[in-house]
Amino acid sequence: MYEYVLKTNQLSKKFKGHTALDKVNLSIRKGSIYGFIGQNGAGKSTLIRIVTGLAFPTDGTVELFGTSEEQALIQARKRVGSIIESPALFPHMTASENLEANRILRGIPGKDCVHRMLQQVGLQGAGKKKAKNFSLGMKQRLGLAIALLGDPEFLILDEPTNGLDPMGVIEMRELLKRLNRELGITILISSHILSELHLMATHYGIIHHGKLLEQLTAEELDEKCQQYVYIKVDNPGKATTVIQNELDTADFEVMQDGSIKLFSRIEQPGKISSALFSAGLEIEKFMPMGEDLESYFTKRIGGNVHV
Amino acid sequence: MYNLIRVEFFKLRKNRSFWTLLFVLSVLSLAYPLLYYFDHRSSGEPQITGAEFLITFISSNAYIIKFGVAVLAGFFISNEYSTGVMKTIASSGNTRGQLFAAKLIVFAVGSIVISLVFPIVSTVEVTLLSGFGHLPEGSAVLFISRAFGLTVLYTAGYAAIGALFTVILIDSGKTIGFSLIFFIMIDTVLVGLGSKVDFFATLYDYSIFKLVGNIGKPSIDSGELPALLLVPLLTFVISGMLGMLVFRRKEIK
Repeated sequence: MYEYVLKTNQLSKKFKGHTALDKVNLSIRKGSIYGFIGQNGAGKSTLIRIVTGLAFPTDGTVELFGTSEEQALIQARKRVGSIIESPALFPHMTASENLEANRILRGIPGKDCVHRMLQQVGLQGAGKKKAKNFSLGMKQRLGLAIALLGDPEFLILDEPTNGLDPMGVIEMRELLKRLNRELGITILISSHILSELHLMATHYGIIHHGKLLEQLTAEELDEKCQQYVYIKVDNPGKATTVIQNELDTADFEVMQDGSIKLFSRIEQPGKISSALFSAGLEIEKFMPMGEDLESYFTKRIGGNVHV
Repeated sequence: MYNLIRVEFFKLRKNRSFWTLLFVLSVLSLAYPLLYYFDHRSSGEPQITGAEFLITFISSNAYIIKFGVAVLAGFFISNEYSTGVMKTIASSGNTRGQLFAAKLIVFAVGSIVISLVFPIVSTVEVTLLSGFGHLPEGSAVLFISRAFGLTVLYTAGYAAIGALFTVILIDSGKTIGFSLIFFIMIDTVLVGLGSKVDFFATLYDYSIFKLVGNIGKPSIDSGELPALLLVPLLTFVISGMLGMLVFRRKEIK
């Protein structure tokens, strides 16, 4: 029995003079929802494309459901559903026909699964509509329905919430959580909306410039997300001097808007505020806060960047 | 493999380009003999018979084969790269060799259907208008089955070359454009090269590009027949294997 649905061992991919993946050792435990985080060009899609057999590694191996032998790996991909970069649809076919084509491709007996999948993703009324007339959100749903055909054990979703409206995002999240909870489907999901990932992922992997920087569980992330005191005063420069001299710490960060994040002495809010007040500073905001996934990720890759 | 062939047939049935080609060719195939019929009627010349029509015009069908293969290659196979469907197919848990083989088989069948429209529709129409007549020599049944059989074989050979282009070029526009130019120019190029280097002259003599012109010959020597049968078969097999080899190494974006 395998413990990990997916494992990569020293997986590398080099293009002409460019390293897209650099010795990546990623592991996704069975039954988890794995949030894959990285900037554009960090290597997320390259890794996903290698796992799904669309690209080939320069070095290293992929292990799916405990197997890494080439022919067995091809067979193992029958147990995987995926949306890679964008939903792959036949634009001139209806939603039902798109599902039917994929049903035949996967050798799934019985046509009832087509209707069931449309219902599962909320497209039951759009079965006869051509895919080219779908909105981006509807295309995403249809792409998910196709990925779910054949009851896969492992779902790989690259930006599945692209183009969805706020309600669609919530519905997609709830659907994925339900599939994970009730059917035990393991999910690898890459998304730019980190707050959204934070609401469903049980594990995280952070990739940057082709290197897997860190893998951690949701619990570990919560522990690592630093607590701090958010301070906004009329004179940030003077406030930093007061913090250094009176509170005897340099563990703080001055943000671009002049606000200060103080990471130590957070258990002594009274002492902090009185030191600032005694120095004649006018305190506009003063509140204890915690980092979220976005700020943790930004800090982890070392800068203010867009994911 | 059975599922892969089934899904390719499903896609061919739903392919608008395939049906458009069939419809346009059917209309043209009906219209072309009518022009002859009315022209001959007004000038008082004797009407052309089905047999004469088949012998005279089946060699022109090579243009339809080339055009049909090029267009269908672009819209039936290459188009799947731009829509992203190739990603779903390639990650479906089948070997690349099986995927390409299934595509090639169904693509060849689609091309064969297109290639048979003109000879069947036009000959039947002319026969209805003026009768089938008589072939200069040999039996009509033998000639028709040989001409149609060779059309099937040569179309399959052209289809294999077209399928090879699709995996190399990926883009549907490039595939159609390159295939058309290649199929139109290859005769001139090989003849030109053949006039300087004997090898190319021999290569051209035993290529489907030249032998396709022999499909409509009323009589074929027994010595010619093996080459006429083997060349398209070998073209299909060699081009198919090359296509498989390229597709196995292809990274799909």
